[in-house]
Amino acid sequence: MVQDLETKDDRITTPRVLVVIPAFNEEKSIADVLLRLRAAAPDFDRIVVNDGSRDRTAQVVQELGEKQLRLAANLGYGAALQVGMKYALQQNYEVVVCLDADGQHQPEDAPALVQALLAKDADMVIGSRYCDGRPYDAPLDRRIGQLFFSHLTRLLVGQRIYDTSSGFKALRSATCEILIHMTFMDFHIETIVRLIMLGKKIIEHPVIVYQRTAGYSMHSFASIFAYPLKTLVLTLVTAFDLVLTRRRQ
Amino acid sequence: MSIQGVILIDLMGLGFLFLILNLVRNHNLVIGHALIWMIAVIGMMVLVTFTPLRDFVTKAVGAIYPASALSLLAFVFIFIVLIYFSVQLSVMSSRQVELIQAIALLELKLQGKETLTVETAQVPDSSVK
Repeated sequence: MVQDLETKDDRITTPRVLVVIPAFNEEKSIADVLLRLRAAAPDFDRIVVNDGSRDRTAQVVQELGEKQLRLAANLGYGAALQVGMKYALQQNYEVVVCLDADGQHQPEDAPALVQALLAKDADMVIGSRYCDGRPYDAPLDRRIGQLFFSHLTRLLVGQRIYDTSSGFKALRSATCEILIHMTFMDFHIETIVRLIMLGKKIIEHPVIVYQRTAGYSMHSFASIFAYPLKTLVLTLVTAFDLVLTRRRQ
Repeated sequence: MSIQGVILIDLMGLGFLFLILNLVRNHNLVIGHALIWMIAVIGMMVLVTFTPLRDFVTKAVGAIYPASALSLLAFVFIFIVLIYFSVQLSVMSSRQVELIQAIALLELKLQGKETLTVETAQVPDSSVK
């Protein structure tokens, strides 16, 4: 698909793409994700960030002959993605695609995200569940949270992002360079707000997301209350920090 | 405050000071943290022992009883110390994340080098003739 771009537009060259797949106890779904990704995007390199899994995730990835970064302890989603980005920068990849290992994202959509990133000259593309009015059967609490944070982005940065919590993203290495220096990161709205305030172009691309069928969600019952509060505080701190930095400059 | 009360608190303070110094001696407490506790204990002992100073502080914080003023100071101290230790924990947590990430990256790099070495050893060297 990236090759097609070259024929349509000479300015767009084939980039080196790395798909970063953070995984925590995903032995049931990781193989399917990797095999489908191999078939859908054979030109893309892949790396699994094994975030301290206690099940057979590491063995499954090894048996498939895929590269993996093994974190000695469970650091959480943001830190797992961050190490994947650090690896991408070390290896001079130009584009990084973040894909969840739980099978909710369709690996077949990855080339389309990269294509959108290059064709629209964006710094980050978010695989969005909501941007073109597609039905996504999310629980009510998540839909309310999503709506709130979606409007919060518009309020803070003047651009509405419909899916602020999507983990399916494609971003350029220059964008990764910014994100690897963020200490506290969940890679959701606080990251989006920071990037837009830094003048980065962020767009959404419609993707289909299914509910998880295997394994356990990283969101527990307690996180129904803790997650929105944590995200809100992180986002406001990020915006405040950037405003202060600008004034100082 | 009665003389017995002052003596009791001073003795307790001396006991705390001994405990803190012993923890430092056994390498269980770093000197920076030990200093914070020593200053707090000594400060409390001085306030309790010197009546004019205790009365001045009581008046300064708007309390009626010296015990209330001392409780308020203790509360403020504990609050500041808790914030300080929360900051220290966050810093340590960030360092831990960075370390674990660095180890993972190095491990992968090492694996790559090992694979390369094994492959080089297995391929017969055609250049040497």
